[in-house]
Amino acid sequence: MATDLKKTGPGRGHGGEGGRPGRGIPAEGLLPPVVRRMLFENGALAALLVLIVVMAIMSPDFLDTNNLLNVGVQAAVTAILAFGVTFVIVSAGIDLSVGSVAALSAMVLAWSATEQGMPVFFAVLFALATGTVCGLVNGMLVSYGRLPSFIATLAMLSIARGLCLVISDGTPAALPTSLEWLGKDFGDWLPVPVIVMLVMAGIAALVLNRTFPGRAMYAIGGNEEAARLSGIRVKRQKLFIYGLSGCFAAVAGIVLASRLVSAQPQAAAGYELDAIAACVIGGASLAGGKGKASGTLIGALILAVLRNGLNLLSVSAFWQQVVIGAVIALAALLDTLRRRT
Amino acid sequence: MTTFDQPPLPPTAPASAPALLRTEAVTKAFPGVKALDGVDFELRGGEVHVLLGENGAGKSTLIKMLAGAHRPDSGRILVDGRATRILDAQDAEKHGIATIHQEFNLVPDLTVAENIFLGRQPRKYGLIDRKRMDSDATALLARVGVDVSPNDKLRHLGVARLQMVEIAKALSVRARVLVMDEPTAVLTTGEVDRLFEIVHRLRLEGVGIIFITHKLEEVARLGDRVTVLRDGRSIAQIPAATDRDELVQLMVGRSIDQQYPRERGALHRGTAPLLRVSGLSRAGHFDGVGFEVRAGEVVGLAGLVGAGRTEVARALFGADPYDSGTVEVQGRRVQGNDVPSAMAAGIGLVPEDRKGQGLLLDASVSENLGLVTLRAATRGGFVDLAGQRRAASSIAAQLGIRAAGLDSRTRTLSGGNQQKVAIGKWLLAQSKVLILDEPTRGVDVGAKLEIYRLVNELTASGHAVLMISSDLPEVLGMSDRILVMCQGRITGEIPAEQATQDAVMALAVQGASSN
Amino acid sequence: MRIQKRTTLVAAVAALSAVAATGCGSDSDSGSGDGDKAKIGMSLSTLNNPFFVEMKKGAEAEAKAHGVDLTVTDAQDDASAQANQLQNFTSQSMDVIVINPVDSKAAGPSVKAAGNADIPVIAADRAVEGAEPTATVSSNNVQGGEMAAKALAEKIGKKGEVVVLRGIAGTSASNERFEGFEKGIKKYKDIKVVAKQPAEFDRAKGLDVMTNLMQSNAGIDGVFAENDEMALGAVKALGSKAGDSVQVVGFDGTPDGLKAVKEGTITASIAQQPDELGKMSVRNAVRAADGSDVDKEIKVPVKLVNKENVADFS
Repeated sequence: MATDLKKTGPGRGHGGEGGRPGRGIPAEGLLPPVVRRMLFENGALAALLVLIVVMAIMSPDFLDTNNLLNVGVQAAVTAILAFGVTFVIVSAGIDLSVGSVAALSAMVLAWSATEQGMPVFFAVLFALATGTVCGLVNGMLVSYGRLPSFIATLAMLSIARGLCLVISDGTPAALPTSLEWLGKDFGDWLPVPVIVMLVMAGIAALVLNRTFPGRAMYAIGGNEEAARLSGIRVKRQKLFIYGLSGCFAAVAGIVLASRLVSAQPQAAAGYELDAIAACVIGGASLAGGKGKASGTLIGALILAVLRNGLNLLSVSAFWQQVVIGAVIALAALLDTLRRRT
Repeated sequence: MTTFDQPPLPPTAPASAPALLRTEAVTKAFPGVKALDGVDFELRGGEVHVLLGENGAGKSTLIKMLAGAHRPDSGRILVDGRATRILDAQDAEKHGIATIHQEFNLVPDLTVAENIFLGRQPRKYGLIDRKRMDSDATALLARVGVDVSPNDKLRHLGVARLQMVEIAKALSVRARVLVMDEPTAVLTTGEVDRLFEIVHRLRLEGVGIIFITHKLEEVARLGDRVTVLRDGRSIAQIPAATDRDELVQLMVGRSIDQQYPRERGALHRGTAPLLRVSGLSRAGHFDGVGFEVRAGEVVGLAGLVGAGRTEVARALFGADPYDSGTVEVQGRRVQGNDVPSAMAAGIGLVPEDRKGQGLLLDASVSENLGLVTLRAATRGGFVDLAGQRRAASSIAAQLGIRAAGLDSRTRTLSGGNQQKVAIGKWLLAQSKVLILDEPTRGVDVGAKLEIYRLVNELTASGHAVLMISSDLPEVLGMSDRILVMCQGRITGEIPAEQATQDAVMALAVQGASSN
Repeated sequence: MRIQKRTTLVAAVAALSAVAATGCGSDSDSGSGDGDKAKIGMSLSTLNNPFFVEMKKGAEAEAKAHGVDLTVTDAQDDASAQANQLQNFTSQSMDVIVINPVDSKAAGPSVKAAGNADIPVIAADRAVEGAEPTATVSSNNVQGGEMAAKALAEKIGKKGEVVVLRGIAGTSASNERFEGFEKGIKKYKDIKVVAKQPAEFDRAKGLDVMTNLMQSNAGIDGVFAENDEMALGAVKALGSKAGDSVQVVGFDGTPDGLKAVKEGTITASIAQQPDELGKMSVRNAVRAADGSDVDKEIKVPVKLVNKENVADFS
C-alpha cells in the first residue's frame, strides 16, 4: 500500500543524520574534525576556551587546580539559577524573579531551622517548597492570568525580596551549622557547590532532552499554538516550567547561603541578570525554542572566569564593569555569527 | 508618474518590446542545494510573465535575487539591457523592481498611508507632511482601484485589501517591474477578479509583471508568456495559452494522468459513523452544525472564506470552545474545549495555517513528526527518543518527505514537504478521524498529488477524512460527499456524483447576499 | 460586561486590602490625630541593609522618648521614589523631614522644595548636594578609614602586604573610607597595598573576591574591607587564617560584625553606630520643630571596636 506513495525524487533518503555539508573553516588541517566541530557548533565553548587561554597568558596564578575549582564554586550559584531560567527561556518566557526567590528560600531555611527550631531536613524541604511555590505563582500569573512573563516575574522579584525582608527584619540570619558542609569541600578537595552545580546541570540536561515536559518546553517556545494543537496542555506545562525554575532558584539560594553559613536579606540581588546572560551566552534564544543546559553551564563559567581573572589581574574597579559588559556582548556575538554562516 | 519608457501597449503579447529585465545563466548555490542552475529569464514592459514550477524549483530564489536578497554566484542580471548588480533592497527599488511577497511587509498598527510611504514619508520643515501623504496615498489607491481610506488602520483590513495596499506601495516607488508571489492563494473568487483587473490595468501602463501561481487555470487567463522552472533550471519559455496538461508535465517532469485520483471504492455506507457532530453552536461563529463522517469516507466542507468552516473544525477538535451541541467519535462523546480529549478520541487536525499553527518551523523534521506522540512515548517520565526517531524515519519514508535529513530544520523544507510533515504527525498518532484544513494551499502539483494519494490510502484502511478546501475542483474531485457552509450554517449536502461547481456555489452564497 | 465589572471589583478589593495590610504593619507611631505632637517624616534610602534597619530602630526609640509622631518610609534605593516620598511629606505638612539620601545629588531639588515650604530638613548619614539642609548628621567616614588603617597596621606589626575590598564604585561611603584608609596607611612605609578590588558591599562577593585575591597574592598579612559584610565574606574565604596569620578590619560594626570581632576572626571594625545616627537625626529634628538652634554639621562619633571593648557595643 505504502509503495504507492513512493514517488521518486532526488535526496529522498533519510533515516540517517545525512552529513552536513562541510563549511569552509580556515583551520581545516590544524584540528581534528571532532574538535573542530565542537568548537564551531558551540560558539560559547570557543569563547570560554579563548578566555581561559588569555587569562592563563596574562596571569600566572590563573591556571592552577585550586583556582579553577574556585572559579567553579563562584560559578555555581549563577549556573544553578541559570539552569532554571533556561527552562523558562526555552519556552519563550523570561524569569526575572530567580535572584529574589533564591534569597527568600535561603531566608526561609535559616528562619525555620534556626528560629523556629524545625529539623534541618524539613527546613530544607520547606525552603525548596518556598521556591517552588513562588515559581508556581509566576506560572499561574503567566498561564491563567495571561500576564506577560516579564511583568509576572518582575512582580515576583519585588514580592519575594519584600517577604525576605519581612521574615528577616532586614538582618542576616544564621544557617544551622549542620548545613555548613554544603559550602565546603568534599574529600578535602572537591567543593560541594561544584558537585551540586554539576548534578543540577545533569538534571537540567535530562529534563530538557529526555522528558516530556522538557520536549514540551521546546515545542511551546517554538510555536505555542502548534504545540497546543498537538495536544500539549500548554498552561499546565507552563505552571511546571516556572515551578521548576523556582525550585532551582531555591537550590541556588541554599548553596549561596551555605557558603556563608548565613542567609542575607540582600543576597543574590541582580543575579537574575547574570543568569539570563549565562543562558544567552550559552546559545539560548530569548525568542524561545532554543537553549541547552551545557551551553548555560558554559555561559555561567565564562562570567565566573572573567570575574576571577579581573581580580587576579587587579583591574580597576571602574574598568571591570566595562570589561564584563564587553565580554558578554562578544560571547553572544560569537554565537550569532556562527549561526549566520 | 510619467517616467515610463514604454507607451501603453495592447493587452496581447507585446513581442516587439525590448526586454525590461533579463537574467542570463544565473546560478545560486546554498549549502547542499543548487537553487538556481543557469536560469535564463526575460521580462518585457507591459507583459504578464508567469513563473511556474513546483515548490523548491527555484522560483523564490529567483525573485529574491531580483529583490536584492540574494546575489547570483554567476551569470548576469540586465535591466534595460545594461548589466546591473542588485545588492540590496534599495538597489532593487532604484531599478524600479518591487516585490509583493506572500507574507506582507506591512505594519498592522499604522494607517494605510503610513504604510504606503513607510520610510519615505513626504516631509515639510523636517516634519512629516501628513496632508500631502494622505492625498498622494488617495491618488495611488484610486489608481489601484481599491476603496479604502488612507487613514484606515491596516489591522482592520482583510487580506485582499492588504494586498491592494502592497500594490499601491509598489506603485509609489514607481515600480516598472512588479513581482507577485502567489497573490491569489489567499483570495476568494471575487477578489481574484478584482486583482486581475488591476494587473491588467498596470500592464496597459507598461509595467512588467512577474506572476507566480500554482493555479494553472490562472495562467491562460492572465499571462502572456510562461517560464517553467524545474530543479533550478529554466525548462521552457512558452506562450501562456499552452495546454494545461503540458504545463503540468513540464513542471513535474512526468505526466500526471489524473489530477484528482480519488478512488471511490466500496464505501462503508452501512457502517456506523466514526464522527458524529450534532447541533454544534457557538454564538457569532456557527450555529446548529450537524453531520456525520463514516469510516472510509472523505467529506468535503466547502464554502466561502469566513463561512465558519475552520471554526467548526477547531471546535470539534477542542481547540476552541462551543456553546452547545455534541461531538461523538464511535458513539462516545468527546469533551469540548480540550485538545487532548479530542486526540484521545482519535481526532487529528491539520490546521490551515501551516506555519503559524501546524509546525515548529525551527525544530527538526523528526521533532515535528513526533510531537503528537510525545506523551504516548513517555515511559517512567522519559521520552523514548530512539523509538520516536525510528517512527519518524519510517513515516518520512512512507510519505516521501524530501529533506536533507531528519534533523533538518522544518523551515528549510518546501511547502509541500512541510505539509507532509504536518500530516505525518497525525498518522503516527493513528488518528481515526483526520480533519484537513486547506491541505494543499501553497503546495505544488507534485506534492498535491501525493497528498491526494495519501487521503486515498487513509480511507481505504478505514479512516475518515473531513476536508476543508476553498479550491472547488479539489473538493469536487476528492470528496465522497460535500457539505456546504454559509454564514455559520450548513446549507446543503451534495453527493459527489451530483456535485458541480455551480451547485456548490449556489449553496455557498445562499443567504449571503446581504454581504 | 458583568464579568468585567466583577474583575474590577475584585481588583479594587485586592488593592484595598493590600493597602490595609501594609497600613497595619507600617512604621507610623501615630496614635490618634493628636494635634500637639510634632510630626516627623523620615525617608530611608533602603531597608535592604541591616545598617539602615538599625538606624530606623534608633530613630523610633528617640521618637518614642520625645513623644513625637514619626513616619518612616523606605525608598528602596530608588532616588525618584524618594523624591515622591519627600513631596508627600511636604503635602502632609510634616513639621520636620529627615532624609537619608539614596543619592546626594538627586536629593537636592526635593530638599530645596521642602525648604520653600518652610519645613526644616535633616540629612542623615549622607550629605545632600545642591541644597542646604537645616543640619547634616553623619559619621566621619574619612576619620573612620584612618582609624581602620592604624588598627590594621599596628596589628600586623607595621609591615607587610594588605588588600582592600572596596564597596560599590562611586558611592561616597566607599570613596571617603578609602580616602581615610589611604591617608592612614601611608604613614607606614613598610606596608604595601597590593590590591584593591570591588566586592560591592556584599558578603557573597566579598567571599569570591577574597578567594581570588588569595590566589594572586599568597602572602597577604591584612585585609581592609569597606564594610563588615565584605569583611565577613573575606573571613569565610580566609578560613582558619582569619585573625591568625591574616588580620581583617571591617567597618560599620553591624551585629554580625561585632560577633566576629568577639570571636576574633575580625580584628577590628569601625563602629558607625547607626542607631546613634537615627537618634541624633530625630533629636535634632525635634529641636528644629521646637524652633531651637541646630548645628549645621553634627558628627556622630565613630568608634574603633576590638576584642577588648566589643562588649560595650552589643
